[in-house]
Amino acid sequence: MLGYQNNVLRVDLSRKECKAEPLNMNWAEKYIGSKGLAIKYLYEELKPGIDPLSSENKLIFMNGPMTGTTVPCSGKLAIAGKSPATGTICDCSIGGHSALNIKYAGYDAIILEGALDKPGYLLIENDKVSFEDASSLWGKGSHDAETALIEQYGHDYSVLSIGPAGETLCTMACINSDYYRQAGRGGMGAVMGSKNLKAIVVRGTGGVKIPNIVEATKRIAEIERENTLLEDNTFVFDFGTTAFLEACQDGGILPKNNFSDATDIDWTKYNGDVLLEHLQGKRGCGSCGLGCGNFLKIGDVVCEGPEYESIAVAGPNAGNSDPVAIVKANQVADNMGLDTISAGDTIIWAMEMTERGVHDFGIRFGEMDKYIEYLELMARKEGVGAELCLGVKKLAKKYGGEDYALEVKGLEYPQYEPRGSWGMSLAYAVSDRGACHMRAYAPNEEVFAASIPPYTAEGKGEMVFRLGQSNAVKFSLCICDFWATLDYEIMAELMTLVTGREWTADDMADVGTRVLNIARAFNQREGFSAKDDTIPRRIVNEALSTGAAAGQKIPMEAFEDMKQQYYAVLGWNADGTLPESLLATL
Amino acid sequence: MKITITLRGTLVKYFNGKRDRQIEVPEGSSAEDALLAAGIDWKAIDSFGFVAINGKRVMITDTLNDGDELKAYSKISGG
Repeated sequence: MLGYQNNVLRVDLSRKECKAEPLNMNWAEKYIGSKGLAIKYLYEELKPGIDPLSSENKLIFMNGPMTGTTVPCSGKLAIAGKSPATGTICDCSIGGHSALNIKYAGYDAIILEGALDKPGYLLIENDKVSFEDASSLWGKGSHDAETALIEQYGHDYSVLSIGPAGETLCTMACINSDYYRQAGRGGMGAVMGSKNLKAIVVRGTGGVKIPNIVEATKRIAEIERENTLLEDNTFVFDFGTTAFLEACQDGGILPKNNFSDATDIDWTKYNGDVLLEHLQGKRGCGSCGLGCGNFLKIGDVVCEGPEYESIAVAGPNAGNSDPVAIVKANQVADNMGLDTISAGDTIIWAMEMTERGVHDFGIRFGEMDKYIEYLELMARKEGVGAELCLGVKKLAKKYGGEDYALEVKGLEYPQYEPRGSWGMSLAYAVSDRGACHMRAYAPNEEVFAASIPPYTAEGKGEMVFRLGQSNAVKFSLCICDFWATLDYEIMAELMTLVTGREWTADDMADVGTRVLNIARAFNQREGFSAKDDTIPRRIVNEALSTGAAAGQKIPMEAFEDMKQQYYAVLGWNADGTLPESLLATL
Repeated sequence: MKITITLRGTLVKYFNGKRDRQIEVPEGSSAEDALLAAGIDWKAIDSFGFVAINGKRVMITDTLNDGDELKAYSKISGG
């Protein structure tokens, strides 16, 4: 198939050796690329039960066949490994331009194995690969390291780097690129840190071969005009994810004070309208016409974003309405190389523990100077930060406060309150990497379109499956989820145009289901099952007080009903495991 | 009765770039009735999202009271 480079760069960091090998095209036929193909490689190559922070773990940077072409929104790169935060499979989708540089350097994927004996970085210039010393970069913030490397090599190079959080093996460490793009969740930055790898610096000057390039490019441009550049999608250019704030407030799903409620009386102080008054410019990833990034200068801070998740966790969920503090928290977390969601959720849980007298972590709701200070302490594992970087699940087990711990499988909750969108509690529960809003975005149908009633279990298993299947294949194509109108017909047409092999809409759906299954199979092999697809106690026990969803909580019976619906749609066993017949198809 | 319609997101073009408009509608009017009275046929707008009354998401068939603020959102998705 064209579109691929048919080339994988396998790097043995322990021996400082690398070799190019053919991409497994049999697997590519079944999993396409990016998310799905990275998980397949890990499923086949990782021994069950390994320590995610040992040299036995692998870190895969995987492109798809569309990477580097003119297919809209195709500039995303999957970064995958076994998660040190959860012990599950974990794949992240990072934007920016690193995916394109890797592809133009001639690689579908980079597979990192082993670990360097001292801090280093990997320099890739087309087929030239070298191991460089990073002793002068170690300890620097992720942005600071990127700046140093860009100054040394030039703006044509892409940098994927970790901050201090990755170096200290904090399990909520992310990988940064293009400064403000993150592989945020599940601790992929810690996996990179465990390999003593500060950064990958990559520059590619090649191209991508696709069949009938003139006709294909013409048709891709038509698809972009007819389907990508629709108002359903271009809202992200106009507003970015700040558009979600007011909608979540009115939808009754904007979390307040560690998810104790789902609206905020002060929401107008940090709403998108306020933040966008400080807009300096727009920024997009490679091959993207939607350009969702907002570059803000607010107070003395310059920052791309903040995105909805980072605003909500450092805003209403932290009892804060000061937009300058929100942006500062985002900027510090990014430079420290911390996932804003998990780090923020842990701090707001600590705020509530202090307020309730469960344990005094020295911070209360609204104390944003401390919030920002704690981010740095967590990244460097100093003082109270050394405790907080354990994350909500382990902290609650150690200190109490499990009634207020919002997590699934050890991954902290995203900022969409499920009591106002019941399907989201299921999506968080069955997500392959722990609580994640990117796997099946239920508010899309339950709140923002009002096509499905939000406060019922009925039909939610099918809905979460359908949304999850679509995102599983979309992320395996390396396409961004902000192309919301992309359906299986168009996916298949794009795959046919890029690879030269006929693909159908049914093929796309089959890939999506297969990806859901192999991710589940990986986790099953690690001992996960229905018992781990959980809902936090607060969501079951406490009704919301305000907003559209006031009075709502999710009864355990309704949650269990949704789970069984979901398993049944996928043909899984009632205990959440895959039957042998499905395992054999992977 | 008098109500205020506020448009959000890409819907603002239906009020020529303005966010708000005050209109009069008969007692018992629904959100849908009010939008139609303001010239917004929501069913014909592909990018139409949802409606809220006084800051709370409701169904399009829910009824309005005098002085209410009806907010209409364009579609958003992703996360």
